[in-house]
Amino acid sequence: MNLTVNGKPAAIDAKAELNVTELLTVLNVEQPDYVTVELNGEILERDNFGSTLVRDGDAVEFLYFMGGGR
Amino acid sequence: MQKEWDFDTLLIHGGLEPGPAGATTVPIVQSSAFAYESADAIEDVFRGRRAGQVYTRIGNPTTESFEKRLTLLEDGIASIVTASGMAAISTAVLTILRSGDEILSSSSVFGGTFSLFRDTLSSYGIGVRFVDPTDLDAVRSGVNERTRLLFVETIGNPKMDVPDIAALAEIARGAKIPLVLDATVTTPWMARGKDLGADLVVHSTSKFINGSGSAIGGAIVDLGRFDWKDERYPHFAPFVKKFGRFAFTARARKLIHKDFGACAAPMNSFLLAQGIETLALRMERHCASALRLAGFLSEHPKVAWVNYPGLADSPFREVASRQFGGRFGALLTFGLSDKQAAFRFINALKLARNLANIGDAKTLVIHPASTICCDYTAEEKALMGVTEELVRVSVGIEAPHDIVADFAQALAQV
Repeated sequence: MNLTVNGKPAAIDAKAELNVTELLTVLNVEQPDYVTVELNGEILERDNFGSTLVRDGDAVEFLYFMGGGR
Repeated sequence: MQKEWDFDTLLIHGGLEPGPAGATTVPIVQSSAFAYESADAIEDVFRGRRAGQVYTRIGNPTTESFEKRLTLLEDGIASIVTASGMAAISTAVLTILRSGDEILSSSSVFGGTFSLFRDTLSSYGIGVRFVDPTDLDAVRSGVNERTRLLFVETIGNPKMDVPDIAALAEIARGAKIPLVLDATVTTPWMARGKDLGADLVVHSTSKFINGSGSAIGGAIVDLGRFDWKDERYPHFAPFVKKFGRFAFTARARKLIHKDFGACAAPMNSFLLAQGIETLALRMERHCASALRLAGFLSEHPKVAWVNYPGLADSPFREVASRQFGGRFGALLTFGLSDKQAAFRFINALKLARNLANIGDAKTLVIHPASTICCDYTAEEKALMGVTEELVRVSVGIEAPHDIVADFAQALAQV
């Protein structure tokens, strides 16, 4: 599956579609309980990560608020 | 790994990464801003695609290391370290409140907090209602349709009253408002705000966390348990959507903390991170010596009364013992015959220092009515438990018999 992740093309070794929670694991995203996820320009509700599917060609952004502090 | 460590270990190692050249202390990153290799890279940081520091008002590696330690110690989800304890309180409440909202506050809060709530915030349309935090019915009936947070100190300073924090948390939950707990005088060593039911914990880290009176600082710890989705907090909606349970910290960091600019100096974050390493040992000694001094004073013929929650006849002993694991803190107050006697006593002390602070390794005293509370009316002083004959003591960690001897010789001159 080919995605655009944070503005860069990324080939994902995964099934045809997977949900956002699975994508966070597959991509080993840093601080997954802390990250904001934007899918095709839309901010996702955290509660919907498990039910939102990511498909071939989608653009995904993983965002953090500046300054750390964790 | 770090989450599994005991509290005393986290005090020393929590959030601490190996430093340059094997340094074992957090490096003081004394830099205003942080450069990036390309325009694209700094864009990614501003956009939030990449973790990184940009400007010390917003974040700094030394401060971030200290923030991580506090988050671990309080078992929270995030922390914001600020320039002072008052900066932590003002940042926390301004993140939550808008014009027209009201704070339900303990009446026995620190004078600076009383002034912020009553005088400063009222200029911005934010109201306050002060209630006795040990009167649960008064707290319950203090909640109205404008109330948006409950603010309480773990032990009132200088009133030395100890509210039942779990019961207050229950009231806050019922009213669907966050409980903001000022745990400065107890520190997470005596009780973690999370275990007491708080939603946010604030600290003046200048006190016991620093431990030697060498730096001013504050902190807000977000425990991540309040549901900011409630329609009475519409200004949180975009932050809830984007940051979920980090909504409070995100709104604080992206707006209030960043825009008001009460950031910590890296040097102070270093001093505070150094200080907190020995918190457990110091607090143990502070508590033991305070209990000993309270016992001595309560039997002294010139002392009219002693207020220390560890004394057998204290009305707060049971609740304090339950909440703080049989530990009662370093602060006590006592009364002499009148203001003149209190002044003579303070003037005769040789070891204890007369100053407006608490939580130092040194024993400190002050006469609150004529100093930190001098701007308040008699009624307001009474509300805060401040009387003319009262002396406040922050018991230090000197040899306990030296502290007692100093008080004994000063009392002899009263």
